[in-house]
Amino acid sequence: MRVLAYLDPGSGSVMLQALLGGVATILVSIKMFGKRVYRALFFWKRHDDEDSEPAASTTTAAEHETEKEPV
Amino acid sequence: MVEAVRVEPGSFRDRDSRVVVAPDAVYRALSGTGADDWRALANSPLLERLTSDGSLIGTEEVGPAALGDAAAEILPEGTETVLRHERIPFVSYPYEWSFAMLRDAALLTLDLELASLDEGLTLKDATPYNVQFRGSAPVFIDVGSFERLREGEAWAGYRQFCMLFLFPLLLQAYKEIPFQPWLRGAIDGITPTEAARLFSFRDRFRRGVLTHVALHARLERRYEARDTGEVKEEVKKKKIKTELIKTSVRKLVSKLSWKAGDTAWTNYRQDCTYSDADAEQKAAFVREAVATAQPGLTWDMGCNDGAYSRIAAEHSEYVVAFDYDQATVDALYRSLRADDERRILPLVANLADPSPGLGWRGLERRTLEDRGTPDLVLALALIHHVSITANVPIAEFLDWLRELEATLVIEFPTRDDPMVKRLLSGKREGSNADYELETFERLLAERFDVERSESLPSGVRNLYLARPRA
Repeated sequence: MRVLAYLDPGSGSVMLQALLGGVATILVSIKMFGKRVYRALFFWKRHDDEDSEPAASTTTAAEHETEKEPV
Repeated sequence: MVEAVRVEPGSFRDRDSRVVVAPDAVYRALSGTGADDWRALANSPLLERLTSDGSLIGTEEVGPAALGDAAAEILPEGTETVLRHERIPFVSYPYEWSFAMLRDAALLTLDLELASLDEGLTLKDATPYNVQFRGSAPVFIDVGSFERLREGEAWAGYRQFCMLFLFPLLLQAYKEIPFQPWLRGAIDGITPTEAARLFSFRDRFRRGVLTHVALHARLERRYEARDTGEVKEEVKKKKIKTELIKTSVRKLVSKLSWKAGDTAWTNYRQDCTYSDADAEQKAAFVREAVATAQPGLTWDMGCNDGAYSRIAAEHSEYVVAFDYDQATVDALYRSLRADDERRILPLVANLADPSPGLGWRGLERRTLEDRGTPDLVLALALIHHVSITANVPIAEFLDWLRELEATLVIEFPTRDDPMVKRLLSGKREGSNADYELETFERLLAERFDVERSESLPSGVRNLYLARPRA
């Protein structure tokens, strides 16, 4: 169903968000990947978010998200 | 008083949520969809949290019956329920705010948007007209803006946010172009195409300009002919993460600053042209006048650093402090915010050119006087600017003050005052002939009963406490 709001969001503005959203997702994934590499290299160090297990699952979710997204 | 209940003429854009003004309170009439959205908000922990921390206006569902029988006739067709809102002491508009005020209103909007996402809600728009100030504290007033989030949809208010918040802030921060005249001239703000033309190539390297201005304008031109609904559906399939965009816009806005505002803030109180003795006596005069008047609403016109606004606030319920100079108002706002002062509202206003009625039928945004007239007016170190700089005849200025029907504290600096001399120095010999102490006192006495007058120790400034003549 197409829901129309009272405010026209503007086709160009929506397109820009698609673009920015894609870029942002990629950047987040790169950051997450970077963190994993860093952890692997310095595995003996204690990391800030180490004890919060859900963070690891978010990483996988974010990566999974990027895979299916054609940007 | 039931006949005074009316649908607010400025509230028509969103048909699911319309404001109804009654003598006792402000109500909001919600359609079926509006009511469902309201319940989604009311049933989430968000409503309680945002209301108690002061970022959202106090609201309760009272139903249509609260407006009485006659009022039921004026409620828009299809009204399902009615909400009652807490009142805002004095309504103001973004073209009367300083840079820091607009930025704080933008941050509040983004914070509410981000907090809503966690509860499966979103804001259907992103306009500064949804924000008001209680003194120096911004408060979101459009409860009808909250709606249930439709997963994967783009941020509906992004374009509006750019046009009414982000572009005005970027222009002021990067180009020193005051946004107030622009927002006063364009009720919907600055379009991406207009904004892109104002920034040079070099500006594109400044934070936010390349994406939100240049790219935005380019895409707007490219997709101009495309149906927005179609594009929305197409983009929806991509399931974009609007949260990341909103977070990054918040970061951008929070880092924006305006140099002149910063300077005025640090040089606060250095511009004072008074001797200490003058300032002391003047403060005592004002303090006594306010204590006797015990006003509900005080207007401090030409408030400068707000020293007398603060004195007025000791005995007034609420003080609106106006000044023409945006940097001064910005400094005052920051200082009030640092003190969490909620009874003084600083506004950028030029009394020789006050805010007019704007928008549809000139009723969407109301004139200054339409939003509440004062019980007490402070016109300190002001008349020479109005009379000499803006060339308003003294009689006309006093006529206007008389029409406000308020107690008046007015200061008259004589022609020997250094500031008056400076203002007159650029004028032809013999101009502003009505700017004489005797003329002023005669014209004042024709309109007001002067209760008390004093000459300040410097001998070049006089103070008057006057009440409108019956």
